[in-house]
Amino acid sequence: MPFPPSLAKSLAAAMLPADQFQRLEELYFQDAGHGYDAFGMHPAFIALGQAISDPLYRRYFRVISQGHEHLPASGPAVVAGNHSGNIPLDGMMIWADVLRKTQPPRVVRAIADHFVPSLPWVGTLFARSGMVGGSRGNARTLLEAGEMLLIFPEGTPGIVKPFAKRYQLQKFRIGHAELAIRHGAPIVPVGVIGAEEQLPQLLVSRRLGKPLGVPEVPIPAVPFPLPVRYRIYYGPPIPVHEDYTPDQADDPAILKEAAQRVQQAVDALLKQGLADRGGRIFA
Amino acid sequence: MKTTLKNVLVTGASTPVGERVIRRLLNDSRVHRILAVTTHNAPLAIPENERLTSIPVDLRRSRRVHSLLFGPARAMEINVVVHTAMEPSATKEGSSVHAYNVEALRSIMSLSERHPSVRRLVIRSAAEVYQIQNNLPVLIEEDHILNMSRRAPQWVRDRVEADLTACARMGLSPLQIVVMRMAETLAPGTGSQMFDYLQSPVCFRPAGYDPMLNFLTLEDTAAALQRAIHNEEQGVFNIPGADTLPLSACIRKWGRIGVPSPDGVITPLYRIRNRLTGHDFRYGMNRRRFHYSCVLDGSRAARVLGYIPAHPILWPTD
Repeated sequence: MPFPPSLAKSLAAAMLPADQFQRLEELYFQDAGHGYDAFGMHPAFIALGQAISDPLYRRYFRVISQGHEHLPASGPAVVAGNHSGNIPLDGMMIWADVLRKTQPPRVVRAIADHFVPSLPWVGTLFARSGMVGGSRGNARTLLEAGEMLLIFPEGTPGIVKPFAKRYQLQKFRIGHAELAIRHGAPIVPVGVIGAEEQLPQLLVSRRLGKPLGVPEVPIPAVPFPLPVRYRIYYGPPIPVHEDYTPDQADDPAILKEAAQRVQQAVDALLKQGLADRGGRIFA
Repeated sequence: MKTTLKNVLVTGASTPVGERVIRRLLNDSRVHRILAVTTHNAPLAIPENERLTSIPVDLRRSRRVHSLLFGPARAMEINVVVHTAMEPSATKEGSSVHAYNVEALRSIMSLSERHPSVRRLVIRSAAEVYQIQNNLPVLIEEDHILNMSRRAPQWVRDRVEADLTACARMGLSPLQIVVMRMAETLAPGTGSQMFDYLQSPVCFRPAGYDPMLNFLTLEDTAAALQRAIHNEEQGVFNIPGADTLPLSACIRKWGRIGVPSPDGVITPLYRIRNRLTGHDFRYGMNRRRFHYSCVLDGSRAARVLGYIPAHPILWPTD
């Protein structure tokens, strides 16, 4: 980052209400020696991230959420949800919501696609706020350290899907199920309503993606995300760590079955959310 | 752990790492005698005594290595060899450097296998043997992909070759072979690229990137090697240091000014610096770790060797 953590902390202290700033001192964090964890996360930048995301979270997207009691207060967990909206604001809103709604506050460690750490500035900013690159080793290390991961099992096909396919889950990959079973973590399903309509897409360009170092670039129909209301629903944890033994993490049929359970749970949350919302996309 | 007294041969004894190891061993009651192998142009800075014998040997010549091991080393009943000798400079290349970096180890290993008293070989390898890229884990375990690129400079290729040469004999050799893949020791004379980089008042770094780095101190380097001497296990061990921090913080803590710049500018700038001032730092060699985080996972060393980094760097601005 272009500025030191002390400046990030001062900015966050100035921008956040005192009680919100103080509660972040209880943040679960493994200091690797200089205030950063081994992946580059720093509490001052978490606080700054909360301060910066606050206008988006409270005023622009007016996030409402329910079911956060299903998020474990400690220990490893995998939060798995639908991915949409052409830019990963859904991940940012889940990150902000988990930070606000957990007590003591927890940072959900978003697992991003391989190309994200390669992006200048963005990769660094995300790393400071807890995101890690999507390698098996990174995810394993974090789960073994008792961290909570955020995984979008649809991957890139989910976030860049056309507007016509909104709320239709793309095929769930099985990596999240394998990680959870192998490392004894429950999977908390999450359904995000609103992100699917935030940035309707005209087309997707692979050619533009190459020079930018990303697989695909969606071309949106509007110049900036629409002020849709975000509704985040957390479902009861799926105890894959109890239903299967770690040895079964090598069984493709078991992994497929576990991933399907997660997909069905996310789908049910989406249906519930859409029914609650009705036609009120912006309200 | 056995408590029998050890007789230890240390190569690279006149380097800062070798010297620190010897100082620790001199204070170690479990070590009886020490044979320090230096180079002809760099004598040992520690005065000899009844426990410490120093001898200059050109390790590039296998005959000399033979004479060392079956001469003074046999007479002193050496049972552990600690091999720390490696050409530190990245600008020195060629067959002579390769002979020092790789062939010397090959000779020491094959001769030690038929030596009457040597039972254990501890090799100082480097974290630079690992491949760094965006889709690989940040926390590097011992089974991480190695940097096998043909385009890597000889400094890296030699270290990978030496490391693999030792690993290939593990389990096949009568010796207990220990390969210590150590984080960069941030000190002069250790081959530290980062130390050389930080000698300039202005440090150019890639704009938009601020990766996590890990550094060792000389004290922890020597402590880890000392633990490997006394342990009975063989294998590969990552040895991280106590300092894990971003590149920008490292520059700041060293009291330097970091200037984010495009890659296309940094490479020629450091090439010019090398030519004009004779500095050793090569940006091309460090390009990936200046973009992507890489921190050694030392949990195996902690579990098996009982090594935990305990000596943080004394940063100039602290």
